[in-house]
Amino acid sequence: MSPSPVRSILERRVIVVSGKGGAGKTTVSAALALAARDAGDRVLLAEVLKDGPIVRNFEPEANPVDYAGRELRPGLTVMHIDPYEALSEYVRLQVGLPRALTSWLRSRSFEQLMDAAPGWRELVVLGKVWHLEQMRDEENRRSFDRIVIDAPASGHGLTFLDVPRVVVSALRGGPLRDEAARVEALVRDPDRTILVPVSLAEELAVQETAELVERVRADVGIHVEAAIANAVSSPPFAPPLKGLAEELEALPAREELGDVPAPGILAACARHLESRAQLHEHYRGELAKRTSLPVVALPLLPEGVRNAKDLQRLANILRAASAVEGESGR
Amino acid sequence: MKKATHLLEILHTRRVVVCVGTGGVGKTTIAAALAIAAARSGRRALVVTIDPARRLADALGGADLGNDPRELTGDPLIEASNGSLHAVMLDPKSTLDDMVGRFSSSPEARDRILDNRLYQHISGALAGSSEYAAMERVSELLDGGDFDILVVDTPPAQHAFDFLDAPRRLLEFFESRIVQVLVQPALRVGRLGLGVFQRGTRRLISLIEGFSGLSFLEDLSDFLLAFDEISTRFQNRAVELRRVLTGPESAFVLVGAPRPDLSQSGAALLERLISEGVPLAGVIINRMRTWPGGGDVPTALVEFEGELQGTDRLAERLPRSSEPQRDRAKAAIQAAREYALGVTCDRHQVSELREAAVDRHLFFQWIPQLERDVHDLGGLDRVVHALFDPANETRHD
Repeated sequence: MSPSPVRSILERRVIVVSGKGGAGKTTVSAALALAARDAGDRVLLAEVLKDGPIVRNFEPEANPVDYAGRELRPGLTVMHIDPYEALSEYVRLQVGLPRALTSWLRSRSFEQLMDAAPGWRELVVLGKVWHLEQMRDEENRRSFDRIVIDAPASGHGLTFLDVPRVVVSALRGGPLRDEAARVEALVRDPDRTILVPVSLAEELAVQETAELVERVRADVGIHVEAAIANAVSSPPFAPPLKGLAEELEALPAREELGDVPAPGILAACARHLESRAQLHEHYRGELAKRTSLPVVALPLLPEGVRNAKDLQRLANILRAASAVEGESGR
Repeated sequence: MKKATHLLEILHTRRVVVCVGTGGVGKTTIAAALAIAAARSGRRALVVTIDPARRLADALGGADLGNDPRELTGDPLIEASNGSLHAVMLDPKSTLDDMVGRFSSSPEARDRILDNRLYQHISGALAGSSEYAAMERVSELLDGGDFDILVVDTPPAQHAFDFLDAPRRLLEFFESRIVQVLVQPALRVGRLGLGVFQRGTRRLISLIEGFSGLSFLEDLSDFLLAFDEISTRFQNRAVELRRVLTGPESAFVLVGAPRPDLSQSGAALLERLISEGVPLAGVIINRMRTWPGGGDVPTALVEFEGELQGTDRLAERLPRSSEPQRDRAKAAIQAAREYALGVTCDRHQVSELREAAVDRHLFFQWIPQLERDVHDLGGLDRVVHALFDPANETRHD
């Protein structure tokens, strides 16, 4: 028996969550971070490259977090690693640029120039992650046990992780190459860093996730151990009640049942849930098959993840899954 | 009261229909379904997509799908109507390359741009370049006269208006002060000497070059020198494209899915599109959970968590089996309740956008969540049917 896939994920220092747009990367990142925190870890949840509303998973009305970060729960800090902020911090600390020029770094015209320059965003953001991973507090303990990264969607997510490798191979020497080499070593270290692909149990999402995993294995060399299938419906009826939808269909469809909907409606609801569950079951299997990875399923909550309570539910499922022994590897 | 122009009428009369919306909502599927519907009404329709998911690409013509339109045959309704359906998958890079070729004064000038490393990067990666290429190709295909209507699936973008904004942003980049400051000396002397910069700037430039792995400024100055020649034509073209796409022959459709991001920003997005001069015709919501029979969700079911009074009546009607009838009745009601919560949630997610659409006299339609995913022509056919089912639209009267 090997440890459960969720446990191996939550043992890594840097947990990079990526996947198809709309698959729920942000929610899954937040749930993983919360699960790690509940297990007693000090956790940093970082949003990169885009300023999405990750914090809304915890507090629906909250303002977005910035580069300084905010401790949302004891032991759980959320921040947005903005590339321009990371660059100006880097330039200030490492290059020793005059202050006047660092303010120029934030100007619109500089952004326009930098918009056309490839690669630097990824590198400075990952450089910041490296720095956060190394960070120690006054008592020389690690500042964060886990860093969960809500990474860009699949295509861009790969570029994101691959930049240090490209920079290392493109440069012959110098401080920048050293910086990139440090970052690359972190990204490619299977004991410290893991990629968690998030998919929906649907054809297009599974397809894209399989391509992501294939390219990660071929090019990027970041460790992948399990995929997460998000928003998976479960069948409406437990096995002993399996024939219930047929039984409802056999009743007169429009019969009045007071405050209970007519049998035809009950049957249609049950059928809809059944067919979605079958579809998801099928594609959950496809996800495992096409990625050759064990799949961790998170349930579809009928009303979505609306608040901290819903998020906690997902975090609890992940924690419970990390406690059980998993099936062996692949 | 002014009534919304019906989707069918739009498909019958307009020459360009542009689908906008964030990624992952099914824009490609909707665009394909709209093109099929237009073709079935007798028009020569072309669906223009960018990088569709593979299975959907297969449905639209598979491996042969490319930068040139390909006819899709086999739909009896299209054949019966004398319409036709073509699909094209844009290759933004080759579209931009073609355009550079057309605008350049000589093959040498063209190659100077095409061979420039910065151009090679920009043409693939600069924000807006694929949107720009899409607009360019749409315009070419319109001018070609082979099609009565183009249905355009825009590239995945964080913001729906990125599409129309693309040429402006591209030009803004070239005209920006920073680019002028950095490159003007180079334009004057024909070559960039780093000596003109102060020490700090030079360090910054070498930093940029280190990050980008390019001799960035040299490439940039070369590129701008070469580009200077064609930039006026490029700019005129951008203005022209925007005029066509926002003119009376075009319609935009906002495509969304019932998700939290839509309820947070959908209505604001709609207002913004209108205020930016986009000829928005309506909204299509994909994958809505809908109540069986189309009526309202019974309030007792979602608001009352205890046992419903009718539970026994249902239990009595169920056949006897190893599991008690009452347990089965409760399970059936619980399943309906779960589904009803989903339906209510989806309606709630779209309610603000729907109100905004009605206020602005736009059509508002939805596609019910289908029991299977859409990744073939059969699936598209189901979407077309759902689009024109009167049960799936908000009527304004």
